[in-house]
Amino acid sequence: MRPGRAFLVTKRIFWSLRHDPRTIALMCFAPILAMCIFGIAFSGNIENVKVIVINRDQGAYVPASNMTIRISDLIIDNMDEKKLNIHHMTDENEAIGAVKDGKYSSIIIFPEDFSRSVVNASQGGGEQAVLRIRSDQSQVNVATEIVQTVTNAMLKTLGDRGMKTPVAMDVSDPIYGKGARFIDMFVPGIMGFVVFLLTTLLTLISFVGERTRGTLTRLFANGLTEGEIVTGYAIAFGMVGMVQVGILLTVAILLFDIMVVGNPLIAFLIASLLAVVSVSLGILLSSLAQRESQAIQFFPIIILPVFLLAGIFWPREAMPLWLRPLSYLIPVTYAVDALRSVLIRGWGLADIWVQLLALVGFAAIFLTGAVYMLKFMRGR
Amino acid sequence: MKAIEVNGLSKSYGPIIAVSGLDLHVDEGEIFGLLGPNGCGKTTAIKMLLGLVRPDSGSAKVLGRKAGSKGSLENVGYMPQETALYEELTVKENLKLFAGINGLSGNEYRKREDEVLDLVNLGERRDSILSTLSGGQRHRVSLAVSMVHAPRLLFLDEPTVGVDPPLRANFWRTFRKMRDRGLTIIMTTHYMDEAVNCDLIAMMREGRIIAQGSPSEVMSRSKAGNLEDAFLKLSREEVKV
Repeated sequence: MRPGRAFLVTKRIFWSLRHDPRTIALMCFAPILAMCIFGIAFSGNIENVKVIVINRDQGAYVPASNMTIRISDLIIDNMDEKKLNIHHMTDENEAIGAVKDGKYSSIIIFPEDFSRSVVNASQGGGEQAVLRIRSDQSQVNVATEIVQTVTNAMLKTLGDRGMKTPVAMDVSDPIYGKGARFIDMFVPGIMGFVVFLLTTLLTLISFVGERTRGTLTRLFANGLTEGEIVTGYAIAFGMVGMVQVGILLTVAILLFDIMVVGNPLIAFLIASLLAVVSVSLGILLSSLAQRESQAIQFFPIIILPVFLLAGIFWPREAMPLWLRPLSYLIPVTYAVDALRSVLIRGWGLADIWVQLLALVGFAAIFLTGAVYMLKFMRGR
Repeated sequence: MKAIEVNGLSKSYGPIIAVSGLDLHVDEGEIFGLLGPNGCGKTTAIKMLLGLVRPDSGSAKVLGRKAGSKGSLENVGYMPQETALYEELTVKENLKLFAGINGLSGNEYRKREDEVLDLVNLGERRDSILSTLSGGQRHRVSLAVSMVHAPRLLFLDEPTVGVDPPLRANFWRTFRKMRDRGLTIIMTTHYMDEAVNCDLIAMMREGRIIAQGSPSEVMSRSKAGNLEDAFLKLSREEVKV
C-alpha cells in the first residue's frame, strides 16, 4: 500500500465536500440539531404537575411542639411549589373523575388519623401512617416525580419537627458525577450515536455512489488497491468524526453547560476510532446494495439496534438480561461507555483501555472485512 | 514488444459465456478495434486485461506484464463507457486526482494538464464543475483523464457512444494524433462504420472472435462493401457452421 495514494482518496473526499455545501451542512448541523433537540427534551425538569390533595387529617398533639397540629398541612407546605401545582378537594370520587378526565395527574390523600399515626410511629408505637397517592400511571416518569416530591416534603417535615424516620439516606457525596444531570449522562451517548450514524450512512451512500457511477472501477483500473481506498475513506471520515465531536462538545458546553471532568482530547480519539469502525461498516454494507435507493433500506437496520441497545438513552441494566450480551456486539456501546467515563468520571486512557481495545478490534475486523469484500466484488 | 498478448482467455457468469477462448496479439503503436454488438463480451475482455475481472482460464499480458499483477497497470490508461468521474469536482480536480494516483509529480502534472485539455479542446473549462458540462464535454474530460499520465497503452470502452458526429470526428483525429506519437489504443465499439479508422480489428460474436485483421482485409475476405455487411455475413456463416 502506498500511503500517498490513500491520502489522495482522503483529499478527494474533502474536495467533494468543499463543492457540496448540503453535505457539509448535514455533517455540521445534524449534530447541533440532535444535541439541541435531545438536550432541550431531556434537560427539562418535570414541573407544574397538577395534583389534587384531599386532606382528611384531624391533627394530633405533637410533644416536641407542645401543641396540636395537622402534620399533613406542614407536609403540603413543604412540597416543592415549582413541581406540584396543588388543588384541594374533599370528594374522592370527584377527584378521581378529574384525573380520569386528564385534568390532573394524581390524588394525594391524607387519612383522618394521619397525624396521630405519624406521632405514634415516631414514638415507637401504634400503626404506621398511610398516605395514599393515586396517580395516572400512564405517565410513569410524572407519577414517579410526584412520589419523589411528596417523600422529600415528608422527610423534611418530620426532620424539622425532630421526629424520627425509620431510615435516613445521605446521597450528597457521590463517587462520580457530583451534581450530574440527566443531560450530562446523555451527551456522551448522543456523541457516539451521531458520529456512528452519520459516518456509516454517509460512507454507505457515497460508496454505493462510487460503484454506480463507475468511479470505483476507474480507481481500480488506475492501479489503486482496495486497502488504499478503504484507508483513504477511514482517514477522511475519522477527521470528520473529530470535527463532529468538537461541534457537539461546544454546543453541549455552551448551551447546556454539561459536565466535562476528563480530557476532551481523549473524547476526540474515541470519536475518530468510532468513525473508522463506522466507515468500514458503511463500506461492508455498501457491497449489499446495488443503488442508493437500496442503501436507504439499510437505515433502520443500522439505526434501531444502536438506538435501543447501545446504552445511549437508558442504561444497559434496564434491558432484559438475555438481551444484554447483544449490546456488546455493537461498537457504539464501547464508544459511549468510554466517552461517559472520560467526560463525567474524568477517567484517562489507562482506565478505558478495554473499551479502546474493543473499538480497535472492531475497526481491525471491519476494515479487513471491507478490504476483502471489495476484493471479492472486484474479482467477479 | 507486444502491447497485448492474449491466449485462450475465457470467462463465464453461471451458464452465460461472456468470453470464450480469446486470442489477441497487438503491436505497440496501433489502433486496435474490438467490434461487436452489445453484450458480445467486448467490455468483459477489456476488464480482464485491466485485472478488473478474473478470467476462468487463459493468459493475458499487458505491456509484457501478466494482466492483473502488481504494476501491470503502470503506463496504462482506461476510459470506461460511462463518464465515471466525480461530478461534484472540477475538471482540473478530476485530472489532478487521477494524475496523482498514477504517480505524477506537481510539475509533471501542470504540464500534462495543459496538454490533455488542449487535446480535447477544454482548456477554458478546467475550473468548471463537471456536472455543469454537457454530455459530450464530460466524455472529453473522461478521455483527458485517461491520458493525463501519458500512458503507453490506452483502453477505450465504447468511447464514441452518445457522441455527436462532429465530436466523434474530433475524437478520431485525437486518437490518430496519439497513435502517431507512439500510443497503442485498444478500443471497443459497436459502430461498425467508424471501425474502418482502426489499423486492426477483431470482430466478436457471443464471446468469440469471428474475424481478425485490417478493416480492408476483413471486408475483402468476406466480400463485403463495408464492415457492417462483413459482420452480418460472417455471423451468418458462423451460424451455418
